[in-house]
Amino acid sequence: MRNVLLACSVAAVLAMVFWWLQREPAYEWRLPADVPAPLVPADNPMSATKVQLGRWLFYDTRLSGNGSMSCASCHIQALAFTDGRARSIGSTGEVHPRASMSLVNVAYASRLTWANPLLDRLEDQALTPLLGDNPIEMGFGSHADEFAVLLESDPGYAALTRAAFSGDKNPYSLLNGVRAISAFVRSIVSFDTPYDRYMAGDDDALGEAAIRGMELFFSEKLECFHCHGGFNFSDSTTHANTRVDPVGFHNTGLYNVGGEGAYPEDNTGLFDMTGERRDMGRFKAPSLRNIAVTAPYMHDGSVATLGDAISHYARGGRLVEQGAYAGDGRLSPYKSEFVRGFELSDEQSRDLVAFLESLTDATVLSDERFSNPHLD
Amino acid sequence: MLFVATWNGSPITCADEGIALSDLRLYVSSLQLLDAAGIAHDLQLHTDIPWQQPDLALIDLENGQDACRDGTPGLFAYLVGGVPPGEYRGLRFTVGVPFERNHANPLIAEAPLDDQAMHWHWRSGYKFLRAGVRTQDDGFWMHLGSAGCRGTVRDISGCRFPNRVTVELHDFSPNSDSIAIDLKALFDGVNFDDGLPGDCSSGPAESACAAPFAALGIDFETGTTEGRQNVFSTYR
Repeated sequence: MRNVLLACSVAAVLAMVFWWLQREPAYEWRLPADVPAPLVPADNPMSATKVQLGRWLFYDTRLSGNGSMSCASCHIQALAFTDGRARSIGSTGEVHPRASMSLVNVAYASRLTWANPLLDRLEDQALTPLLGDNPIEMGFGSHADEFAVLLESDPGYAALTRAAFSGDKNPYSLLNGVRAISAFVRSIVSFDTPYDRYMAGDDDALGEAAIRGMELFFSEKLECFHCHGGFNFSDSTTHANTRVDPVGFHNTGLYNVGGEGAYPEDNTGLFDMTGERRDMGRFKAPSLRNIAVTAPYMHDGSVATLGDAISHYARGGRLVEQGAYAGDGRLSPYKSEFVRGFELSDEQSRDLVAFLESLTDATVLSDERFSNPHLD
Repeated sequence: MLFVATWNGSPITCADEGIALSDLRLYVSSLQLLDAAGIAHDLQLHTDIPWQQPDLALIDLENGQDACRDGTPGLFAYLVGGVPPGEYRGLRFTVGVPFERNHANPLIAEAPLDDQAMHWHWRSGYKFLRAGVRTQDDGFWMHLGSAGCRGTVRDISGCRFPNRVTVELHDFSPNSDSIAIDLKALFDGVNFDDGLPGDCSSGPAESACAAPFAALGIDFETGTTEGRQNVFSTYR
């Protein structure tokens, strides 16, 4: 009897050890000690295998209606996962009203895209570029059923999908494909900039101009940090250790069509989502990390350089002198109270640009973990 | 019960010369038949038809060909259901998806709410109606759905512009009559000769929505649905 019990115990222990060896190790974010982990939806936990599957899918042109583009077509790693265009162009040539946004540290964004108060999860946001038809981006909407077929029929995908979703009876689904892409995009975190190194105690990480620019950036005179504050330089930032849900949308006086605060009809910002007049022209303050490599700027790419962006804020709003969108944004009734304008010398403006350039993380722009695996 | 796409009362197809259909798909729900006394009786749809739930169906009148090439090959032109025996003289239904199902996750929804082309992933909820026509070099389309929703995608608490349309047809016999959806009535006021294809996707800034919304009985500015629709009618 005792031997039987012993045998059972040994078997149980062996089974546990086997299970322990089989299970995937906890996901490693590789974050600096003082940076909190991103918020991860309970139904899509991170794993290295899932991130790997998502990386292959992110770069796969088979996920577009005509096979011409992947997620990466508008999110190019060297450009901090933007596309360098004022407005992105979809797989069928349709021009999107807005510019592609950086995906670096998007895991920390409390809301996704330029002005959508509803979208708080990458798993939901990813459906629009993939499946949407107004405008057509990847144009996969009428092919949505083919996603599961691709996961099952491609041997590489089938193996990764089974491993990433081992608890699922049928792991091959659009739902799981989108979960994997979301996990990959969530994994693109970056805190290795000269600014980060300076803050960690490396006094030589920033030059004198950048240090002067940093002081200007965080001054009450310029007010930049009210909307572009915190560790991710955006007031719409959340993370795993917070219980609040910070969301900010701001009208920066970029337009004032007709003198009543209107924005161009295809880019009214938060107003398009709420229908509340006070939300006219309100957009999310994007993270300023890697901002030097993501020109042109603003939701519609209508500001060419960092110097131009600073001039816009220094003036307290943009003057559009002629054309369909003529109007003085400085006088917009919907403008944020923090966009009041300021005096800045040319040297100070250059200092501020030097600081913004210190927010570029050269590592994330070429890190192999985020590169195109189909090319290897 | 059959649905028919019409232009000024005559059937219109994706292959027509001149003005052709380019899209027509819609969700109908809460169907009721009205008896002689005007009392409403729920129409129970049969669930062995893939585009039907007991109280909701997807009607798809485009075939994915010709001017409808961006659509889908399947045609779901009719409804099959049952009511207690009796004499019915009217029909009432909603163009739209009931609130709770409208804002649930479309990736795990039951047919016909699993059609991703009918979902509005960024606004939350379904496109209740997609309709469009094309000429040689012109056209117009609209997507109708709830807008101004509050909360987050997985937790919508309400929408400022629900944009559900109630259709009531009197003088309608379920045994012999069909339901016409007239695109001329829907797009009344749209100029099809100016070479400028237009669209309306239910956004509050889209002035092009005012006319088709009015045809559906919706006040575009306020979102109220007290007006009378003149797009749906009895077809014999």
